[in-house]
Amino acid sequence: MPIGSRRRRAALKDSLNIPFEQLPYQCFQDARKVLQDDRQEKIKQIEVARLRIANLKAQDEAISGGKQAKENRLRSMHNRLEELKILADINDPVVKKKHEDGEGDMNKPIYRYLADKQWRQYRRKILEQRISQLNLVPDILPNLDPVAEVDLAFGRHKIPHGDFVDSLISENVPRLKVQVFDKGERLVTVVVVDPDVPIVQRDGFDYRCHFIASNIPISPTSTSIALNQLDLRVKDASAKHIALPWLPPTAHRGAPYHRLAVFLLRQADGKVIDTAKVGDSTKRDGFILRSFMDKQKLTPVGVTVFRTKWDENMAGVMQRAGLGDQVNMEFKRKRVEPLPYKKKDGARYR
Amino acid sequence: MPPSRCLFTFRPTFRPTATSQLPPTCLLRKPCTPTSTPQTASFSSSSQLFARKGKGDKGDPRITSIRYHLSHALTPRPLRLSRLRALRHWTIHRAWQLHRNKQRAAAELTLEKQYASMRAACEALRLIDENGLTVPGGSGLSVGEEGYGGGVGVNEAKGVKGEGRNVGRLYRAAMDKTGVWDGVPIEYARCQTDFPAREGWNHGWTR
Repeated sequence: MPIGSRRRRAALKDSLNIPFEQLPYQCFQDARKVLQDDRQEKIKQIEVARLRIANLKAQDEAISGGKQAKENRLRSMHNRLEELKILADINDPVVKKKHEDGEGDMNKPIYRYLADKQWRQYRRKILEQRISQLNLVPDILPNLDPVAEVDLAFGRHKIPHGDFVDSLISENVPRLKVQVFDKGERLVTVVVVDPDVPIVQRDGFDYRCHFIASNIPISPTSTSIALNQLDLRVKDASAKHIALPWLPPTAHRGAPYHRLAVFLLRQADGKVIDTAKVGDSTKRDGFILRSFMDKQKLTPVGVTVFRTKWDENMAGVMQRAGLGDQVNMEFKRKRVEPLPYKKKDGARYR
Repeated sequence: MPPSRCLFTFRPTFRPTATSQLPPTCLLRKPCTPTSTPQTASFSSSSQLFARKGKGDKGDPRITSIRYHLSHALTPRPLRLSRLRALRHWTIHRAWQLHRNKQRAAAELTLEKQYASMRAACEALRLIDENGLTVPGGSGLSVGEEGYGGGVGVNEAKGVKGEGRNVGRLYRAAMDKTGVWDGVPIEYARCQTDFPAREGWNHGWTR
């Protein structure tokens, strides 16, 4: 749909197309001048900060008061530098406009900062709520501080955090859209865990791993992880990404819903995981994510979750997944024998 | 039952014409049931005001003003700006905020400089002796420390006689607070309290 009325659009088309920064409003132009002067000042400060950092790096440790003190000072100077970079551009109306239009260049710190702020304003709060509502935090990981936005979709179907997904849809491998807000490229591992597998013998629940893929490069600009196309082009067996292929999530008839938590785990710097070895050594049933993370030196950066329960397509999905013997299994509540109690005298209630 | 007669007028069809005989300032809570109020025009359901078109009185001014203020909210409508106009507005707002921030920072810096220079002057006075020369070795000490020059009694404690008598004399004079309130009326120095005094007014007070 076009924006504005037909009359307005016609008037705009005929008028001269002045760029936004050159619109002839005096107060606006004066304000822009003030902001530009401030920006030049900030840029000068950035140059000074860079010079100071370089000087400190070149300085001998003994002069700067020990290794620890020097590192601390360097870190705080770097923080100040990043802050200055954001302050230089935060007042620019064009930057604001581009960010609102979604055209921001994520390689620039200001756009990453604005995107992060926007994410934390609402969408991350919802994610936090789902994490605590669905008890992901004590059940799977001891604590979780998501710093990257992870969106899950099965084909065209975008799944909000914690939504119930039809089993026919979740039979296929999903794709992830990951937005990180800090610079640089890093390798991540994607793990899908189901903490709600019922164990009849124990009258309890256990974990099951549905998917592991490692060594996926992610940066602020490359945001898409199509998990189904990860290994299509890879010929070399050692360069494969997928350690454990997708196991369709299943739930038995009568059993409570299953949570399927998708974790995005950042690998330690420069550490490449041997997927073949991981695939051989990892068992799907009884998979403990905490020990896996400890072993592979992973830190959680993002999470999303969806749920699955018994539906009309689940029987077919289980058949195709090789769980045909469990199709007719049905969970029922154990009858609780009522406590013996004496019927009271009916006359009392009359 | 309506609490006062002026509320009757909010129901125009039942507006009692008899109430216009009352003085307009009457706000008494009179119990007036519809049965007890005599209708002057009992054959017509509409009020007399409809019949006298144009020249009838405009009703109670209080009601007019109440109606006016009920339909005219005190808050103006929110600004509805177009995209680019809002962006220009934002730009000007940010520039203004930046300007105010800079002004505030500059004012704070001035204050800080003034304070520092006063402090330095006091320090210099503290170390000055009777000949107007700085006492040797005293510059390394801060104001609070027991130094060579400075406060009263330092030299006496050290047993030095005569020599440091006048060291820091100007400093002590500058620190002397006697008479700083001279010329200020004592009423202005009275502090504000949460509750009035037990005796509200001191009738015996004279200057």
